[in-house]
Amino acid sequence: MKFWQIGKRNLKEISRDPVLLGFLLGMPVAFMLVFIAAAGGAQAGPIALSIVDEDRSQNSSAFIEYIGSVDAIKLNEPIYNEESQARKDLQDGRISFYLLIPSGFQQAQQVHQPINLELVYKEADPVTGLQLKPIIEAVGSQFLGVAPPLNVELKGTTSIIKNPAVNFYFPGIAVYGFMILISTAAGLIAGDREKGFLSRMFTTPARPWDFILGYALPFIPVLIVSALVYLGVGMGLGLTIVGNLGYVFLVFFLIGLCAIGIGMIVGSLVKNESQTAISWIFIVPVAMISGAWFTVDRMPSAVKSIAGALPFIHAIDASRAVLNGSPFSAILLDLYWLGGWAVVLFAAGIMLFRRTMVT
Amino acid sequence: MNAVQAFKLTKQFDSLVAVNGIDLEIKKGELFSLLGPNGAGKTTVIRMLCCLLKPTKGTASVLGYDVVKTPFAVKRLIGVSPQETILSERLNCWENLALIGKVHGLSSNQVRRRSQELLETMGLIERARDQVRKFSGGMRRRLSIAMALVSDPQVLFLDEPTLGLDPQARRAIWDYIAGLKGKKTILLTTHYMEEADSLSDRIGIIDEGRVAALGTSQELKTNTFGMRNMVVSTEGLTADVIGDLHSKYSTVAVTRGQLKISHKDLDFKQIVDYLHSRGVTVYSAALEQPTLEDVFIQITGKKLRD
Repeated sequence: MKFWQIGKRNLKEISRDPVLLGFLLGMPVAFMLVFIAAAGGAQAGPIALSIVDEDRSQNSSAFIEYIGSVDAIKLNEPIYNEESQARKDLQDGRISFYLLIPSGFQQAQQVHQPINLELVYKEADPVTGLQLKPIIEAVGSQFLGVAPPLNVELKGTTSIIKNPAVNFYFPGIAVYGFMILISTAAGLIAGDREKGFLSRMFTTPARPWDFILGYALPFIPVLIVSALVYLGVGMGLGLTIVGNLGYVFLVFFLIGLCAIGIGMIVGSLVKNESQTAISWIFIVPVAMISGAWFTVDRMPSAVKSIAGALPFIHAIDASRAVLNGSPFSAILLDLYWLGGWAVVLFAAGIMLFRRTMVT
Repeated sequence: MNAVQAFKLTKQFDSLVAVNGIDLEIKKGELFSLLGPNGAGKTTVIRMLCCLLKPTKGTASVLGYDVVKTPFAVKRLIGVSPQETILSERLNCWENLALIGKVHGLSSNQVRRRSQELLETMGLIERARDQVRKFSGGMRRRLSIAMALVSDPQVLFLDEPTLGLDPQARRAIWDYIAGLKGKKTILLTTHYMEEADSLSDRIGIIDEGRVAALGTSQELKTNTFGMRNMVVSTEGLTADVIGDLHSKYSTVAVTRGQLKISHKDLDFKQIVDYLHSRGVTVYSAALEQPTLEDVFIQITGKKLRD
């Protein structure tokens, strides 16, 4: 139980350092507020949307009216009848994007066939389009009572989701928040190495795993509190939790463990605290390709496979799915993936740490 | 079995040979000082013996356990006070001691008892519940030494235990270390020669990674300086007496009644008695002892605090 002693020491060092503690616990709140606000969450102004109605049916008109009633969207006038005109306006910069309701919309709806809506945006300005996509998906599902082809997971749950944008962005931002534990956890080890404290501890009979577990231990309460803070702030901003909150928590816990595990590896490799900045070379690109800030649907398949091999996208997908109502069985594979990564990362951390104990 | 044994211990950092083939044998219960200037390789030797550095060449063992092959067996037996007083800053004295004690496998009761004892001896009991980041250098050093002792180790490594302390604090720590003599095997490094001189059973003078001389303080002094000096203030010296002394001793010098005699085996009483018998008045007489610094300068050709 040597690790327990080291862990207790680290917990005391963290909990008695008001600056570090404030950073660790205040960061999730600040993060969530800034990102959800920036990403068009509860307080954001509506997005202006143009619509091309090729179907010109009763149902398509009703759908347009339904979209217009969504707070997050402001409909541009007039409604285009021909896509060519909308495309021209888009190219001329008069509009930012448009939603194409194809002919056959009403018919497909009546016979319960898949419906393809196209959201066309300027490539130079993909962000708002990417923000809008999940909103349209959610609204579409809600209106149609079935899942649109773009997002099958929303099926049957959309009517309960108050603010689709928050439900879409929340998991990514929360997981990004946990990724920050990588640099904090690495910093704790690296700081103690720099100060010589580790060197002193290396003259005691503590083993490599005692150190790795002992340095990971104090982040467990941080992780739990962060997850609770994220969920609390998320709900305050209009997050709708359709599925089991416990599963969301489990996913967050596992991805937090993975982040701490990576932190242990970084902490084993770097020589001093300032070198832990190197973890950002990993954190930011991985957050990006894992869909922490925007959807990864349009990313090349090679990038998608890299993201899919890493644990973060699994945490984002799984927590989003559960929030939107998916059952446990739907996220089981993601959970295996996350648990497997956590084990591998800690094992690697211990092996790397062993090497640093003797110079 | 020796408590500490090193054979041709060598550490090379790139092109710098920090420790160059050192042989050491420290007996159980012995207090051994490594004396040398900064950068002589003292700390590197300690770090190899504590399993923190892997020797480039040579072997070392602590109580029979090889420091490279069985580091954890070694770590169970040793206590270390590093040169920099490294403490866990936001922990108080009790907590710092408990951390080290419990990692060494002591029970809570044992830790409490040991800590109480050490905090009292080190004069820290009054401030024992304060976080150590507020402590002065002397207090930190005392706690650091207490941390090395809390597990009741058989072999104690003290790297510059009084570095940067005021004379009073230094004296207190010397007294405590002197009290441990015979109970623990202690290897301490220092560049204060009075420290080495007054505390050690044996001293190894280390310079540029090599042991330049080894022995008790007295041995070092007599072996290094074959001669001993005696200075006598006199009145009534005659040429006859001086001539007589010249025939008995290697060198005899007289300046204004001050007589300086150098010889291999000087007998203080014999000289004083002789002068009395010849009617010479002796005001004062003293044997001049070379200091360890004299020894060091003689051996290495440089000052100790270079």
